[in-house]
Amino acid sequence: MYNTREIYWNVGHSVLIPMYLFAFIAISILFYGFYKRYKVYKKGKPENRFDNIFQRLKYFLSNLFLQRKVLKVFSIGSVHALLFWSFLILFIGTTLIFIQADILNPLFGFKFLKGNFYKLFSLALDLAGFVAIAAVLIFIVRRFIIRPSGLETTRDDIIIHILLLIILFSGFIVEGLRIAHTEINLENKLKLFSPVGLLFANFFTSLSENSLLISHKLLWWAHFIFSITFIAAIPYLKLRHIFTTPSNYFFKDYRPKGKLATIDIEDESRETFGVNDIKEYTWKDIFDTDACTKCKRCQDRCPAYSTKKPLSPMKVVNDINKISFNFAEHNSLIDVVGKDSIWSCTTCMACQETCPADIEHIRKIIDMRRYLVLMDGEFPGEEVQLSINNIEVNGNPFGNSFADREKWTEGSGVTLLSEDSNVDIMYFVGCYASYDPRNVKIAKSFINICESAHIKVGLLGKEEKCCGDPARKMGNEYLYQMVARENIENINKYNIKKIVTTCPHCFNTLSKDYKDLGLTAEVVPYIKFINQLIKENKIHLQKQVFDCTYHDSCYVGRYNDMFEEQRDIIKLLGGNLKEMEKHHLESFCCGGGGGRIIADEKLGEKISVKRIEMAKNTGQPIVVSNCPFCLTMFEDGIKIAEYEHLLKTKDIAELIEEHIENRGH
Amino acid sequence: MKILVSIKQVPDLESRFKVNEKGNWVVESDLAFRLNEYDEYAIEEAVRLKEKIGIDNVDITVLSIGPERVKEVIKKALAMGVDRGIYIKDNEVFSKDPFRIATIINECVKDNGYDIIFTGMQSNDRSSCQIGVFLGELLGINTITTIIGFEYNNNVVTVKRELEGGKKMILKCSLPLLLTCQLGLNTPRYPTLPNIMKAKKKEIKEYDVNDFDKVPNNITITKLTHPEKKSKAEFMEGSVSDIAPKLVKIIKNKI
Repeated sequence: MYNTREIYWNVGHSVLIPMYLFAFIAISILFYGFYKRYKVYKKGKPENRFDNIFQRLKYFLSNLFLQRKVLKVFSIGSVHALLFWSFLILFIGTTLIFIQADILNPLFGFKFLKGNFYKLFSLALDLAGFVAIAAVLIFIVRRFIIRPSGLETTRDDIIIHILLLIILFSGFIVEGLRIAHTEINLENKLKLFSPVGLLFANFFTSLSENSLLISHKLLWWAHFIFSITFIAAIPYLKLRHIFTTPSNYFFKDYRPKGKLATIDIEDESRETFGVNDIKEYTWKDIFDTDACTKCKRCQDRCPAYSTKKPLSPMKVVNDINKISFNFAEHNSLIDVVGKDSIWSCTTCMACQETCPADIEHIRKIIDMRRYLVLMDGEFPGEEVQLSINNIEVNGNPFGNSFADREKWTEGSGVTLLSEDSNVDIMYFVGCYASYDPRNVKIAKSFINICESAHIKVGLLGKEEKCCGDPARKMGNEYLYQMVARENIENINKYNIKKIVTTCPHCFNTLSKDYKDLGLTAEVVPYIKFINQLIKENKIHLQKQVFDCTYHDSCYVGRYNDMFEEQRDIIKLLGGNLKEMEKHHLESFCCGGGGGRIIADEKLGEKISVKRIEMAKNTGQPIVVSNCPFCLTMFEDGIKIAEYEHLLKTKDIAELIEEHIENRGH
Repeated sequence: MKILVSIKQVPDLESRFKVNEKGNWVVESDLAFRLNEYDEYAIEEAVRLKEKIGIDNVDITVLSIGPERVKEVIKKALAMGVDRGIYIKDNEVFSKDPFRIATIINECVKDNGYDIIFTGMQSNDRSSCQIGVFLGELLGINTITTIIGFEYNNNVVTVKRELEGGKKMILKCSLPLLLTCQLGLNTPRYPTLPNIMKAKKKEIKEYDVNDFDKVPNNITITKLTHPEKKSKAEFMEGSVSDIAPKLVKIIKNKI
């Protein structure tokens, strides 16, 4: 006698026809549900997410089977991964049964679920079922008893958790009843390979044979009906994420991080710009909202949400979902999401970085801002409109004279490209380092570093304009393109090959966004450039021990995955670096990104103060950053928190300059 | 209803001003130009009126005099919702006095039969406050200056104007009339992209200033200089007992 069990024991092969009929109905309901949703996705504009198929497949498979993004938050993520893996084993087990019992055996009389393989099969499924129950119970305790703040529980969640428990328990009861009848009294050790089933079987030994058989039959049907109900319900409940979330891995955005789509503003056939109606989004934007599981990881990391502003990236995504699937089509997206919520985003990318479903939040928010600015001429406040006007007239948000842009260079010996365009690099200074006294120091430090390395630096001077980042992130695509085109024309005029920036916002705009408008020069952030000079031994640094903490600015860190170069430099200089509570990919925004630098922070608490609080808690006297916006926000934050005696700001360029060894060049 | 808005392009006040060689005006090369602030209120009020009484019943014309760059502010007005533009080319407009400029405008528009003319109460650069008043006089129509409130009902205009000492005055007046607009009248809109696009197709009629330039200057600029620095700030450092007597001394000297 082989080690095996009789499939369709007790229920008999006569169940095949009704079973397949019901299964067919369930799967049809599932397909119908997704077909209806597919029609909604199709309402969006076309967008190609089927290029680089192999790269996409690889990313999809590794994230699906290894649960990589889910496991980034290890505590609850590992519970989900265990549930996923156990269901995967249960699914494979069921498929094996189907292959043997309904195909190979009836057609060829072939059985493979026997012997040691059956033992393994039986044990694996039993343990998987057990782990799944444990995982669901942990989920239930977390969601319904611990109730973490911000976790939203809906009818879907209640149904899903109950359904899962019923299916898993009924499965074990069916198994227990079968074992109680067939295996429990046998001499061999087969039953030990169904440990959980055996445990259940012990409860049923007192039942008469007849009641065993009848209850087994009934429970078998119940287990089956609940299982196919689960399948049929997938597209109609949050369960749909079983399909939509992994699909979203496949549809990942492979464009440079944070790059926005360039609108063809000259397109005369176009009646609307930006988005206020789901039909103006791409299909991927709508699909994204269906991949959300409301895990709230984005919300937990959102600097606006955690300073009590009316923005939650999760809520934005779910509002778009609600309008897409439930509301009448003419509903204004912006009214539902809320203007205050739309304007509160700092585009820090924390939401997108952490999202285990790879949802792209920021573009959706910028698209709504574009509608507000380009279609309604609306801004979050008069101060923003004033700054926008200033950029229009003078090319900088402060309203300072464009001719004063090069004033800081007086007496510095920097080359103006209009006088001599034969230079090693062009330095794109940016508005803050050109006009703001605190930030001018960065520009001067950078020039001094370059001088000590004998690099000839050229500037556009008064021909340089704002890169357009604050205007663009505030939704003003028209003004962005106006200043961008002017900058590109001037850069190309001098035949520039290499541009270095000290502002990460300029860097991202020039290196990623300007490509669409015809900039071909190489763009390098100053940290990379200086690091290269250090490696090539062109600058000589003197080590001197000092204490500091380091702030990863969003547009350097999350936007460009640059984390270690800055830390290496700090350590090289003698920096005793102590990390803040949030750092690297989890870094917390200064509050100045997304055009917020030109807006007053009227809602909630100050983001900058919250970040400065974290810097202060390290006990270090210096907070090092590498972005003019961060520096400006921190200067503010330190003043508001009254930490002037505890904490100083320093840009990494200033630090490096201080440590340059003078070898009498 | 036909409305005229007369506007001016002015240098941005944050610009770096340098006096030219002749000493009668400023060097333009380092100047950024923009729409005169008060004219922006004038445009906004005209467009609001058009929106209120029906866009098909109102036709707004914007007029400006100056070198080619002036077309930028005409385009901005068109993008804000004005229907058509009149551009009078004059590279020497800076040398003409307000009465002469008002005469040029009058010669150009006197036969067009405008019901309401809006203009800024003054310009950011010259601040003479005269063009509007002269133009109203030359056209022989009622003129109300420095308005901060405007309402229109059945050919009757009700305006609020600012007086000295924070007092306000409310006036009713029939058409045609000319109004000069003051800060506080409205918050000008930001042109939307579709309107910027539409503006590109709107008509701008071009004229040469010589066709309308009928009178000589009454005023000529003889000399233009930066203001002399008369007052200065002094920072006093030290303890209160040191500073206080010094401060008392300074105040006594001033009195």
